[in-house]
Amino acid sequence: MTSNHTSVPSYMQGSTRRVGIMTDVHRRFLQLLMTHGVLEEWDVKRLQKHCYKVHDCNATVEKLEDFINNINSVLESLYIEIKKGVTEDDGRPIYALVNLATTSVSKMASDFAENELDLFRKALELIIDSETGFASSTNILNLVDQLKGKKMRKKEAEQVLQKFVQHKWLVEKEGEFTLHCRAILEMEQYIRETYPDAVKVCNICHSLLIQGQSCETCGIKMHLPCVAKYFQSNSEPRCPHCNDYWPHEIPEVFDPEKEREAGISKSNKKPLRSRQH
Amino acid sequence: MPRGKKSKLRAHEKSHQAQEEPENLVGVQATEGVREEFRSSSSLPLKSLPAAGSYSNPQGPQRATSTATTTAAVSYTRSNEGAKDQVEERPRSSQAQPITEPFHRGPLDEKVVTLVHYLLYKYKMKEPITKADMLRKVIQMHRNHFHQILKRASEHLELVFGLDMKEVDPNRHIYILVNKLEGSYDGRLSDDRGVPKTGLLMTVLGVIFTKGNCATEEQVWQTLNVIGLYEGRKHFIFGEPRKLITKDLVKENYLEYRQVPNSDPACYEFLWGPRAHAETSKMKVLEFLAKVHNTVPSAFPFWYEEALRDEEERARARAAATAHTAATASAHSSAMARAHSRAMDGACSRAMASSSSHL
Repeated sequence: MTSNHTSVPSYMQGSTRRVGIMTDVHRRFLQLLMTHGVLEEWDVKRLQKHCYKVHDCNATVEKLEDFINNINSVLESLYIEIKKGVTEDDGRPIYALVNLATTSVSKMASDFAENELDLFRKALELIIDSETGFASSTNILNLVDQLKGKKMRKKEAEQVLQKFVQHKWLVEKEGEFTLHCRAILEMEQYIRETYPDAVKVCNICHSLLIQGQSCETCGIKMHLPCVAKYFQSNSEPRCPHCNDYWPHEIPEVFDPEKEREAGISKSNKKPLRSRQH
Repeated sequence: MPRGKKSKLRAHEKSHQAQEEPENLVGVQATEGVREEFRSSSSLPLKSLPAAGSYSNPQGPQRATSTATTTAAVSYTRSNEGAKDQVEERPRSSQAQPITEPFHRGPLDEKVVTLVHYLLYKYKMKEPITKADMLRKVIQMHRNHFHQILKRASEHLELVFGLDMKEVDPNRHIYILVNKLEGSYDGRLSDDRGVPKTGLLMTVLGVIFTKGNCATEEQVWQTLNVIGLYEGRKHFIFGEPRKLITKDLVKENYLEYRQVPNSDPACYEFLWGPRAHAETSKMKVLEFLAKVHNTVPSAFPFWYEEALRDEEERARARAAATAHTAATASAHSSAMARAHSRAMDGACSRAMASSSSHL
């Protein structure tokens, strides 16, 4: 089946095609999105405008969704995708360039030592099994003796955990670790396959759930932003599954306009949400 | 996709592969379609994902669907050169139907894709790429086709990402990815102005660190000579190295270059500049050095200890900075807020780092 020419197999002719065109605008966009790892939606829009300005200032800026779909049609054959997601804690829309073919952990494999990878796996398992979606530093470090590969001291393990934070696989809050939103985007498939029994899923959007609220009666879980949307302007929130009264505080739906106008830092906002279960 | 079908396809592909491997070497082009099922190489410790057909995630309210459900044909446009047509086609039916005809994809195609992923990862990490690493981690058993695989991967990188593979050290086969798009060297959102210099800068910072945080000019040149950079000899990427390290990088505050006190005849030494302290760390530089020597930072216990102490100090400084700015946040709300917002802008976190280093 060698061919020195490109011929279209007959079964493919005549089917609908979607043409994606890459220009320097798209290329620069990809470079910068990759460099940043993960970006919030308003940053992505700024990035897009910037790329147009630098590489094709006379063109009209394409609608973001179309722009991204265009790029994704080109990336498809490389098993890469610009994926859109939502942060679990406050519902901010985020975008990241993710690897589809191999899992991100095996991509990490190419640059982390065996014991470092195993540390990540252990932390991941603790996070998935936990009630809150967080694993304490102490609990992770206590597993250091069980790691495969070269022996790792606790002090070293602390460094490795920081490395994971730097590389945006984990996020640290008050000595506890959870998955970075980018890691969730990249690894959802892997996690659901590897831990099919332990994994939690949101009752509303059916995606992987690490942090969220749960019904105290029937146990179903929902992401905080899913709770916000589902119970929006509902004075008597009830569990969608068992109809019992929903006991937790309902967060606000994320509003990008309000956020930008106020310009208030997260630390100044009155805490409306907490990790409740 | 029903399990039975998948394994049938796999078996079919395997038998095809046995016959076709030698032929693939000749005719394989970047234009051949890539098959839906993708197997990861056997050495990776974790399971790979099943057929991409099972990828269509349930359409929750938060997901933007970006998968093509019909056959996608793609063309690239190079804005500088004439239009070059590259058509990549994939048989892809909607609703995850099984592939009607195994559009054959050889093992080399998989390696090309894996190599592209690996190179992009290195680009993101701003790390140099060695031939040895590529062979060991990606190419593996297909060593004889290294150049072919690398060439195809480079083509993808060039056409899709506007990145060029440049061989920085022909003796030790070290490469870097360089942004080849014109007019991309601008201020704010550009994060990789330093990409061509980064390997060089890290090398010099490494010399300085390992010589006790201060290195003589002679010591720096000794190391640079090893990687093929010589005083007065223009390099195709870095230009003239002496100007680069004694002027350009000094001007950008990455290095400090000063006369050794009381030296006669005058001789000079290098130290880390404030921007180096802000944008990188001893630990990061040690990691870079370790990588180049194919080992891990803890293999250099003396420097590792020093780097650990540096990390602790930085953590303390960061904690103090957060406390300080939280107290003044109410007074300077908008200015501080921008610095502590959850924006993931790299430039923003650099600004934070440099302000905290001044405490």
